[in-house]
Amino acid sequence: MARVVTVLALICLLNLPAGGQDASAIERGEYIFRASGGCSCHTDVENEGAFMAGGRAVRTPFGSVYATNITADSETGIGTWRDADFIRAMRHGIGPDGTRFFPVFPFTAFTGMSDRDLLDLKAYLFSLPHAERENTVTDLPPPFGWRPLLGVWSWLYLEPGPYAPDPEREAEWNRGAYLATALGHCAECHTPRNVMGGLDIELAYAGTVEGPEGELAPNITPDPDTGIGRWTTADITWYLRTGLKPDGDDTQGLMAELIDNGYRHMTSSDLEAIAAYLKSLDPIVNRVVAEKPNH
Amino acid sequence: MSWKSIGQVTGFMLILSFSGAHAQEEAAHLAYRQKVMKTIGASMGAISDILKNGLPHQENIAVHARVLRDASTLIESAFEKKVVEGRTDAQPKIWQEWEKYVAAAGEMTTASDALIEAATSGDASAIPAAMKGVGESCGGCHKPYRKPKEERFKR
Repeated sequence: MARVVTVLALICLLNLPAGGQDASAIERGEYIFRASGGCSCHTDVENEGAFMAGGRAVRTPFGSVYATNITADSETGIGTWRDADFIRAMRHGIGPDGTRFFPVFPFTAFTGMSDRDLLDLKAYLFSLPHAERENTVTDLPPPFGWRPLLGVWSWLYLEPGPYAPDPEREAEWNRGAYLATALGHCAECHTPRNVMGGLDIELAYAGTVEGPEGELAPNITPDPDTGIGRWTTADITWYLRTGLKPDGDDTQGLMAELIDNGYRHMTSSDLEAIAAYLKSLDPIVNRVVAEKPNH
Repeated sequence: MSWKSIGQVTGFMLILSFSGAHAQEEAAHLAYRQKVMKTIGASMGAISDILKNGLPHQENIAVHARVLRDASTLIESAFEKKVVEGRTDAQPKIWQEWEKYVAAAGEMTTASDALIEAATSGDASAIPAAMKGVGESCGGCHKPYRKPKEERFKR
């Protein structure tokens, strides 16, 4: 009898997903992963790097920052991180050994995620194949590369979460605000930054010519002439689902990856909530035009 | 005025008239190929309008898909002449990798054929996946061969 119980217990263990994680947590975590844009920066697509194994150089005005290995490999990834470590990293931008992360990792947005969403995301990441890949050292010129200063940076620019719903607003708006700010981290790319790399909140979502990877990030406030004020809710949800703009043109660059790896997998109601939130923003007149010479 | 001066002025005028004609011809090529692209974009936009707004024009999707397909077959000839100066977002790489470029453009024809098939199959649920295929074929050309948005001309 004891042998039968042992065999049954073994079968149960073998059927558990990697890391002994709860299957429903992994499933929910995958959705959080998608809604966060599929953590696209952590895969070095150009060099055919392993999924979520890092190594991708994310160009910023301060230099290139190399994305880290966020697979559960215990030597080179985050396999030894406890739940509390993961929450601290996402909410405060601090690793288990106290190392502060460069804010190109958008912890200023992810800080708004709920504990449950963070732990579900961790469960999903830990369910992925482990990839052994040493992190590439990021070497930014001083003073931007001085990690101890990042504590001051966080003091200035980090508003620790989680997101607190606005009781004056409807549930759809709050859901959209949560998705756009904490998960989708739209403002991180679509807001200009000051000389210290902090978001210029006066111009939140108004676009910038110096987006990540040197890309131009358009104005997504509802200004009709310089933003997306002429886009309908259906235009926004269709765009996030397909990458197709109202004029039929497609999307390239990092946004195309975020849509393909992430946003397009979201539910219609969540995409509509994001649209409702974006349409509720104050319109800002800001024509984002590249400063490079045009013909 | 000496005969030499007259000859020099005539020569300058001749060269200027030819270079002016050359610039106009190149601008005409640019304008034409941009219209071919806009035809494709407009078809994608029209199909998108029907799908995202649930317009009662489902049967029109096949028509737009055929326009898209036919326009995609014009890409090769529209871009045959190398014009890289002026108001254009085309990368010179197109003509350095002509065969690859033509193959990438051909992917749009193939993807459009699949969209026509989906639109005429009677199974509306097959259309979004086929649209995704066409969208990927847009990116298949735009990603390597269109200037990034930071370098595009001001429209």
